[in-house]
Amino acid sequence: MFADWTYALQDWPTYLGAAWLTLKLSLAAFVLACALGLLGALARRSRHALVRAPAAVYVEVIRNTPVLLQMFVAYFALPSAGLRLSPVQAGIAALGVNVGAYLTEIFRAGIQAVPGGQREASRVLALSPFRTFLHVVLPQALRNVYPAVINQLVQIILGSSLLSAISVPELTGTAMVINSRNLLTIQVFGIAAVLYLVLTNVVVLVAELIGRAAFKPPLRPMRPRQSVLAGLRSAARRLVLIRKEA
Amino acid sequence: MDWSVLWSNRDLYASGLWSTVELSAAAIAACTLLGLVIAAIRTSRIPVLAQLARCYLEVFRGTPLLVQMLFIYFGAAYLGIGNISVFGAALLALTLFQGAYVAEIFRSGIEAVPRGQWEAARVLGLSRVQTFGTVILPQTRAIVLPPLVGQYLSLVKDTSIAVVIGYAELLREGQAIVDRDGHPGMAYLAIAVLYFVICSPLSVVVRRMERKAVTA
Repeated sequence: MFADWTYALQDWPTYLGAAWLTLKLSLAAFVLACALGLLGALARRSRHALVRAPAAVYVEVIRNTPVLLQMFVAYFALPSAGLRLSPVQAGIAALGVNVGAYLTEIFRAGIQAVPGGQREASRVLALSPFRTFLHVVLPQALRNVYPAVINQLVQIILGSSLLSAISVPELTGTAMVINSRNLLTIQVFGIAAVLYLVLTNVVVLVAELIGRAAFKPPLRPMRPRQSVLAGLRSAARRLVLIRKEA
Repeated sequence: MDWSVLWSNRDLYASGLWSTVELSAAAIAACTLLGLVIAAIRTSRIPVLAQLARCYLEVFRGTPLLVQMLFIYFGAAYLGIGNISVFGAALLALTLFQGAYVAEIFRSGIEAVPRGQWEAARVLGLSRVQTFGTVILPQTRAIVLPPLVGQYLSLVKDTSIAVVIGYAELLREGQAIVDRDGHPGMAYLAIAVLYFVICSPLSVVVRRMERKAVTA
């Protein structure tokens, strides 16, 4: 039993490298998704139906088809349309385009939730529409939707596991390769699962710290989605209290 | 473009579609049941069980569905539990993964029902289970239904992941068709249309229920 684990853990540099690729891929896809989401949200709020319609179609088509299919299209079908992407490029594109559709709706809701009086006040102060959006509406909208956006980042990290199906050597794909070599299924996928838990927890924690520093007034602590960390934190706090009393 | 390729493969598309629907329906039923039980345990504050339920949520929401599916499918053989069928492994993984999300949806609904409802029902002599089933649960409908159907929608799309362990659902049949006839663009477009036909009614239902919940 232990021998199996130590044997499986001999490949730790490979696991860590793969986890690092997962993180890099996910962050790249997240940046793409945020850009698409912001553009999509603006387009969906446009006065012109010709701008609104393509954004609506984008959101509907992407949200009603599986992300794995979108990855297959990006990697297997686009070459026959003359666009040849490497597995990593296709993966980042598919994940980014997929989550961009969800972020379109999230950003749209966030922008809509900013009270109209804010816009009117900015106009009275003679800010241009562009500056009103950039300095008044957008910061408040981002503050509204920050937890939902971070949740999408977690979804990207989990979704990036599917890129193993288009031969990207990320964490899951690497685990599959190692498993086919040593056949220690429980250990290999157990290690991968733990690394995913660490990745998602660390990303949420870092995002929470950024969120607390970046917004005014500071964001309330996010609902502890990952309560393992929350439990540790409250345990530590309790320890400090006990020490103070003693 | 040669559209006849689509028609000549209609049997494969139909059987893939049926497999997808079968897996989706079974997983929807199972994950709803599991989610309900987990949510009941979480909100009951039974000492050890509640913490175990929480750990389950952490693990299954913090790791990818694909890893869970591979773990179950290949792990069963490794542990010598015997050969689990591809359908069984896909169903179990989908149920455990989506059950975690469904449990949180039910929990948010249950916690929104005022505490006084529990107390009143208990005073009237209803048992815990009766209170939960006939007083609390019906009141959570407006809060629970929109996200619940939304979760079903993502479950239907997630059945495509079973392609990796070889379940012959829609996407797998699409791959088979591409391998034989080529034309990946057209085949995947056809698959996308089929998924869209299943999923977009669900999206419409979600949107309508959300609008109703807001105006109500």
